[in-house]
Amino acid sequence: MSEKIKELLGEEAEVLLAEKRYEVISRILPKVLKGKKPLTRSDLLDKAFLNKYLGIPVFLALWWALFRFTFDVSAPLSDLIDMVFGRLGEIASISIQNEQLASFVADGLIGGLGSVLVFIPPIFFLFFGLAILEDSGYLARAAFVVDRVMYKLGLHGKSFIPMLLGFGCNIPGIMATRTIDKEEDRILTILVNPLMSCSARLPVYVFIGGAVLGGYAAAGVYSMYILGIVLAVLMALLFRRIIPYFKGKPSAFILELPMYAMPTLRSTLAHMWERGVLFLKKAGTIILLATVVIWALSAYPWGAVHSGDEPLIEASYVGFLGHAIEPIFRPLGFDWRATVALFFGFVAKEIVVDTFGVLGLGGAEELQQVFNPVTGLAFMAFTLIYIPCLATIGVIYRETNSWKWTIFTVVYGVVLAYFVAFLIVGIGGMLGY
Amino acid sequence: MNLRIPLAFLPENKQATVVEVVGGRGLVRRLYELGFTPRTKVRVVSSSSPGPVLVDIRGARVALGRGVTMKIIVNPE
Amino acid sequence: MIKVALIGNPNVGKSLIFNNLTGGKAHVGNWPGKTVEKKVGKCVYKGVEIEIVDLPGTYSLTANSIDELIARDYIVKEKPDVVVDIVDASNLERNLYLTLQLLELEANVVIALNKFDVAEDLGYEINVSELSKLLGVPVVPTVATTQGGMEKLKETVARAAKEKSRRRIIEISYGKKIDELIAKIERILQKDENLTKIYPARWLAIKVLEADDEVLKIIEKSPCVQEIVNLLPEM
Repeated sequence: MSEKIKELLGEEAEVLLAEKRYEVISRILPKVLKGKKPLTRSDLLDKAFLNKYLGIPVFLALWWALFRFTFDVSAPLSDLIDMVFGRLGEIASISIQNEQLASFVADGLIGGLGSVLVFIPPIFFLFFGLAILEDSGYLARAAFVVDRVMYKLGLHGKSFIPMLLGFGCNIPGIMATRTIDKEEDRILTILVNPLMSCSARLPVYVFIGGAVLGGYAAAGVYSMYILGIVLAVLMALLFRRIIPYFKGKPSAFILELPMYAMPTLRSTLAHMWERGVLFLKKAGTIILLATVVIWALSAYPWGAVHSGDEPLIEASYVGFLGHAIEPIFRPLGFDWRATVALFFGFVAKEIVVDTFGVLGLGGAEELQQVFNPVTGLAFMAFTLIYIPCLATIGVIYRETNSWKWTIFTVVYGVVLAYFVAFLIVGIGGMLGY
Repeated sequence: MNLRIPLAFLPENKQATVVEVVGGRGLVRRLYELGFTPRTKVRVVSSSSPGPVLVDIRGARVALGRGVTMKIIVNPE
Repeated sequence: MIKVALIGNPNVGKSLIFNNLTGGKAHVGNWPGKTVEKKVGKCVYKGVEIEIVDLPGTYSLTANSIDELIARDYIVKEKPDVVVDIVDASNLERNLYLTLQLLELEANVVIALNKFDVAEDLGYEINVSELSKLLGVPVVPTVATTQGGMEKLKETVARAAKEKSRRRIIEISYGKKIDELIAKIERILQKDENLTKIYPARWLAIKVLEADDEVLKIIEKSPCVQEIVNLLPEM
């Protein structure tokens, strides 16, 4: 019946009333509005920001500024929080009599809380900077400027902002996909966002790369970022081609550019607060819970782990898990300790470095026993690609409202990571390492 | 004179009148909602053809991708 | 308690107005089964509690995007006491497109004419009372960035909620020919009480003419659909 009606109405139907509405508006308007829009500051600014040649450099400069602002300003605060919670943990472990309770409170609860709160400065500052770019009207221009390139990659122009944000932290990146209208384009962007090497992975690259790549350490670290981008592009193109849900071109680029406006402190803070609190609530609870779980897994069986002076992680459930999984990772050259580190990295990538420390691999020499340049690089790549941190997974679930896509992200991440790491080890082997 | 050319070919600062929008229902509808109805005045603010184009229409500023600007047929003044 | 929905084009300052009204405290979740964010907040005006739902920013109320469907489903099914249409005064022409659709939906509209300062700076002069008269709804100039007009807005919303049942439903004329068509279809649809219980008949008629996918699905099951099919070829 619907089809019959549509047929009878013809193609004009949908737009006929649209036209009529505007006719009504055209009659109303002269009676209520006087004045014409003059050439505004917006126009002049746009001539600069949207200029064929200036557009992209200006864009890159602003983004670089955003990240520097965020991470330079927030780093001391994060360190402070880290320190405070470290102290709190110490105090707890000394003051609580019961050994197990002390460990639970100190390492589990306080440690977990600390690892959540340490996120607050960078996240809030990032959202602050972002709110300024958005409220000022610039963000829409940025999407416009990069659209041409993005379209060829099977992505929407509006995907670029989320991707770029992902370099700071995948969570705001994924939350930023809200501006993409078409659901398919949006989910595709979310799926490849974790491949943008977030700032939490950097310490891992520096740690491993610095130890085993020698003079090529810096190159190794940069290559991770490039690898991430290349893979994101490849995956986007691949998913578009292979997964029926994504078949079809990205939707047409139509974007209204609001007038430039001076962001007010009040609205900027309001936006920052709203998004920051959202992140804390979702990501925070997950990280806290996961940290407690992992604490439990690494502290029990109590007797076995705590028989000596230092806790022996190898004797815990996690150690057992690490050894159990090790065979899967041996072709990649990862031993059980690397496996355990990857396991903990599932919660938050920062933890990977800490874990190595706890497992006795705190320095360059020790690392060199475990990794050679090729397997080290493979490990860095694995860290880049495999599962995004737990908080990110939580946000992916929230934004896609679908277990299907969330699990898909996790699975393809691990599979791709393994594949790429294997490739690296393989090629390295052929080159004689 | 009644010319019909795609918006994509309109130079910067040129004003024109929309003649029609050719394309799938979805696209036509979206553009009509934003005001790209026949006989509407539109002005090109910035054109980085073959890249996206920026226009003024009904008092607002809209950025349109290349594919879209090929589908909006206008009559230049 | 009064139920109020906020709606408007993207970039009109809706979220700031939401913040102003609710004091920044909002419960954030998702619309059931969707990935679109749902924000709900509260405010109190002269002892009356007002629940404010932030509908997705949208240019129109067709059946073609999730945002639009969520917005119009909310208005039709939840029947909020007031729908505050936030209109960008510096962009009046295009913003009124959504306003007209809200009037078609027979929502109890109060227009918040936001960014009034920007419009003035641009040299625009807006005759607020004439606009209110022509559209048949209250219009409150606001400047969300300085909290300007917020009290007046609350007052107007409270009053509009009280007078909801007494209000005059405005029928915007789309030209004699179209009006006649709408009227014919409306008369047929009015025979089905199950439909008119939930949806405004004239709105359904307009949507039928627009080949609205969702509305067509809705009336498919109605006994009067055959009559409509018979009517159409004459047009």
